[in-house]
Amino acid sequence: MSLEERELEVLIGPQHPASGHMRMIAKIDGDIVVELRPNIGYVHRSVEKLAEAKKFLQIIPLVERPSLADTTANNLAYVMALEKLLGLEAPPRAQYLRTLLAEINRIHSHLYGLGIHGVMIGSSTAYMWCFGDREPFIELAQELTGARLSYSYIIPGGVRRELPSRFTEKVEKALRYMENRMKDYFNLYLNNPVTRARLEGVGVLSKEDAIRLGVAGPNLRASGVPYDVRKVEPYAAYPDIDFDIITEKVGDAFARVMVRVKEIQESIRIIRQVLKKMPEGPILHEKYIKAISPKMREYMKETGEVKFPGIFANLRIPAGEAISRVEGGRGEVIFHIISDGKMSPYRMRMVTPSFRNVILFEHLNRGVRVADIPAIYGSLDYFPPEADR
Amino acid sequence: MQDLLSFLISLLFRPCIFIPLIFPGLTVIFIMLLMIIWLERKIAAKVQLRYGPLYVFKPLGGVIQTVADLLKDLFQEPIIPKTVDKIAFLLTPIMLFGLAYLPTVVIPVSPTFYAFRSDLSLLLLLTLTTLAPIFTVLMGWASNNKFSLIGGLREGYLVISYEIPMFLSALSMAVLYGSLDLVDIAEAQKGIWGLFLNPVAGISMLVLIYMSTGKFPFEIPEAESEIVAGAYTEYSGIMYGLVMGASYVKLYVLSLVYAILFLGGWNPLPASMMDNPLLPGAMLFAKAFILIAIGVFLRAVYPRFRIDQAMNIGWKMALPFSILAIFISLGIVTITGGM
Amino acid sequence: MSVDKTIRHVKALATGIKYLVSSKRMTLMYPDEIEEFPDGYRGMIKYNWDTCIKCGLCAMVCPADAMKMYISKEESEEGKKPVRRPGINYARCVFCGFCVAICPTNSLKFTKVHDVVYNTLEEQVYPPEKFREGVPKPQYKKKPKKMRAILDEERGLRYEPVE
Repeated sequence: MSLEERELEVLIGPQHPASGHMRMIAKIDGDIVVELRPNIGYVHRSVEKLAEAKKFLQIIPLVERPSLADTTANNLAYVMALEKLLGLEAPPRAQYLRTLLAEINRIHSHLYGLGIHGVMIGSSTAYMWCFGDREPFIELAQELTGARLSYSYIIPGGVRRELPSRFTEKVEKALRYMENRMKDYFNLYLNNPVTRARLEGVGVLSKEDAIRLGVAGPNLRASGVPYDVRKVEPYAAYPDIDFDIITEKVGDAFARVMVRVKEIQESIRIIRQVLKKMPEGPILHEKYIKAISPKMREYMKETGEVKFPGIFANLRIPAGEAISRVEGGRGEVIFHIISDGKMSPYRMRMVTPSFRNVILFEHLNRGVRVADIPAIYGSLDYFPPEADR
Repeated sequence: MQDLLSFLISLLFRPCIFIPLIFPGLTVIFIMLLMIIWLERKIAAKVQLRYGPLYVFKPLGGVIQTVADLLKDLFQEPIIPKTVDKIAFLLTPIMLFGLAYLPTVVIPVSPTFYAFRSDLSLLLLLTLTTLAPIFTVLMGWASNNKFSLIGGLREGYLVISYEIPMFLSALSMAVLYGSLDLVDIAEAQKGIWGLFLNPVAGISMLVLIYMSTGKFPFEIPEAESEIVAGAYTEYSGIMYGLVMGASYVKLYVLSLVYAILFLGGWNPLPASMMDNPLLPGAMLFAKAFILIAIGVFLRAVYPRFRIDQAMNIGWKMALPFSILAIFISLGIVTITGGM
Repeated sequence: MSVDKTIRHVKALATGIKYLVSSKRMTLMYPDEIEEFPDGYRGMIKYNWDTCIKCGLCAMVCPADAMKMYISKEESEEGKKPVRRPGINYARCVFCGFCVAICPTNSLKFTKVHDVVYNTLEEQVYPPEKFREGVPKPQYKKKPKKMRAILDEERGLRYEPVE
């Protein structure tokens, strides 16, 4: 028999329990995957083109939509690009609040990825635990911002809410809880011999390939490349915070999982420092505070809830170009905004980590077994809507 | 009238009717199925910090949820895709369930109560349990679906890797007790249970039972995230209920066998209680039920192996261990001069 | 099978059993228990007819075109410039709260209501006259228990009934 005849083409998705909103076209020879091609675009929402028809402030909720589990990264990166064009910087307290939300978001985004990966290799307990333990962090973020996932918390010149009362205590409780739970995660799931057998040595991405293919985020760091935008090009409050870049050497599926697990622990460290070092002061740029009516300024002081100045409705951004980079949960988010001085951007380019990682489907799934497809898919923490935008 | 009633009852308690129809046969199988599926969901839920089925009869924690599911399945439209091999597609679920249930007729309930006794009853029982997997493979072919095909083939690969070591483990007990008769084997365990005499055989057989019935971590032929539902992908309604039930029935039958071979069967009940089949039967059922419960508990702990890893376990670990088990049995027999 | 692997198998099983016998649960029994949201929750919006200055900023900032200015029939007089007031379409609203934040007179406020069932799409449109009547009151067959989520070191989230 020729190889052509031996091969079986299997279409995994878009209606498959573990495909997500995408299709994988796999050619298999027996139990070996000869070739797997990701077929993306099922949830393309034309965010970039839509942005050209929306006003600058209206784009904030829009850019959050593609990656609902990791909204703060997109929100922050977009606003940072706007601030570069506006030539202003948010006050220090706002920077710290942004960092706080970004790290809370990173924890629950990583838990989301770990949970989905768990159920993809068959551990429903890992899935339920991760999704259950996202809840305290979502609850924290909800208390801070007023919404569970689509926070729209970061605005040009600052943030929208002051810390709620007794927030530090609550955060500390959630962090301690997570630290304790991690032991059980290790006992039941991460150190489970079956989990190890499924993940170790599967989908190995070498350091050279990771760099050559332009992989982003935890997937890159799992191959031993210490690249983290928070260190390379520090933004928000990260310059003042002491934290490490988590890397693993091996580059297999288990290394990618471990990077996420250790980043959760690192985020816990960052959150503690942020809350300790949080400076006093305004949370909105004074230029905008001045534009708010005195009565509303009084109200802001009382409730800690930022009122928008009227100019936000039709915010004009000076002509120019700006690029901003942010390390989100899944990796580096890049926004490139070209403004021609009008109320909407001339062009907005949004580069998401999932889009950069999708190439790994083809690269890693060559010569693996059929059962490894979900094990590799999950370890990439790939989120189809984020890639399609 | 009274005579007729007592006649009917005595007829019911005749071994050749009681065993296939009541215990370990259909009635108990049906109750066990409803209980175990509920228990599986409940155990998994408990470990996963949730409630599981609850609202159908709340006072008992939703225990009749499975009955509701069964009713739903019964009235659901059974969809038969155009491209399937119709006869094979329709017959396989029935054959699968029937053949999974068939071995129960050989199982004795007490030293005096059995439908069928033979010098070779253990062999017969093991042979009957090997019939069902063929239909899973057939189902994969008949469904005309790529996922079904892969699922059927996976089942085929697994069968050959677990069956040989499983039989060797079972037969090592026959060597130990010098008999292939299930009644003799159970009776010989009045003192020490077989599990403690030959733990190697006991553990390897237990693992292989879970492997053969697709319990975690060996839930490979139905791996949802890989091949949707394996060979069962195209089935719906009551036909799906049958194929899903078949693997539980197989687990039940093998657990009964395990209880007889390794856990002393109806022992340690005193001989005076053996006349009525109910007490020894309950004893046997309790032991088997615990084994089933352990099997479903594993779902909450383990992910699933890859097919090649499971085959490795079958060929490279279970096979040497089961051969070792035979030698252990031979050693014990040599030292003690037969049990 | 190495010793290390055996120990890890035992640990995994022991952890499973530990959770099997513990009585911890994360579930909020939703229809019977309803979470009472913290202050500042971005739910449906109530409108203060009297303080509104009809500036239209809310409609201008709305990212989803949910908030629009409608011609108010009772106030508009013929021949004059029509009076416009905001109305909201909950089929489009994304609950970002920009309209509440930009309102210069605090005429728009958040409520904690968010789970309302509509039978038709038209019902979800709230023109100014309907908008002033406030958000629909939830209707229950059986009154649910209001629960508050409390962060807990032992259990992560704990739900406590609100007095």
